[in-house]
Amino acid sequence: MKRFFPVVLLALLFVPAAHASERHPTLPELEGEVMCPVCETTLDQSSSPAAQQIKRVIATRIAAGDTKTQIKDRLVAEYGSAILAAPPHKGFGLVAWWLPVAGILAAAVAVGVGARRWARAREPAPAGPPLDAASERRLDDELRRFEG
Amino acid sequence: MTRPARLAAQGLAVALVVGLLALLVWRVATDNSKGVAQALKDGNHPTAPAFDLSRLDGGGRFDLASLRGKKPIVLDFWASWCVPCIHESKRLEAARKQYGDRVAFIGVDTKDFSGDARDWQKKHGITYPSVHDGSGSVLAKWGGLPIPRIFFVARSGKVVGELIVEEDLPRYLREIAAS
Repeated sequence: MKRFFPVVLLALLFVPAAHASERHPTLPELEGEVMCPVCETTLDQSSSPAAQQIKRVIATRIAAGDTKTQIKDRLVAEYGSAILAAPPHKGFGLVAWWLPVAGILAAAVAVGVGARRWARAREPAPAGPPLDAASERRLDDELRRFEG
Repeated sequence: MTRPARLAAQGLAVALVVGLLALLVWRVATDNSKGVAQALKDGNHPTAPAFDLSRLDGGGRFDLASLRGKKPIVLDFWASWCVPCIHESKRLEAARKQYGDRVAFIGVDTKDFSGDARDWQKKHGITYPSVHDGSGSVLAKWGGLPIPRIFFVARSGKVVGELIVEEDLPRYLREIAAS
């Protein structure tokens, strides 16, 4: 349990920041999470009239005190879910979130299995039965003759 | 891994790759992203793709197919952020005074914020009804960006043409009004 303590502590450190971002979103933050509907980039990459319009709407909603979710819901109601840069964490959108994880896990398993097989293939073959005394003597004689 | 298992895995992998390739070929072959506009350029007159969208004025929904066989249509794709749309929509508004009894003028506000779109209509005196295509999915079937895009649909539901040259507006209006 002690091993996980730093991880839990680190995760808890991010909770207030995420909470603040949800309740008091900023325009630059949302500009990176919302798409420009005519230029296929996020709002922060575009200065097209359509992007300017959405930036203005977002700024107005932030000033009105809307949360990040409320602002995004409003944009999705107007433009459809493609207005969000990241797919939603529900329905078919979950595939986009979990497929890479599944791919990484599958690759890790494949690498693990491959490495195990490779290591096994490199193990020396088991030694045969020991030589009897006569054969051992004859081998020693042969070696001596060969070296001499 | 036993030989049959290995063969099965290899067969599965090959089938997967072939399947993905077939999907890619099918997608490219059936790509209609240029939609109606491309069909017109190719010399065809396709049937107007149907849509059923909410009206901008809050008066329920509008189904394009409901006019088929009853009235010819001028379809105007516009948005409040589109500067050239102001000029085109004003021209259609003026033409409506002459043809409004015989031709239906329908606006499709696309990839736009509906509140801004309503303000834009008021500001520029556009009175013909518009529907809201926020995601642009209807626009994509007709040819996609850029806008403005103006199409002329005969009473039969066939698309007669797209306005490319300004001077063609009276000709197209006469043609569909007589259809």
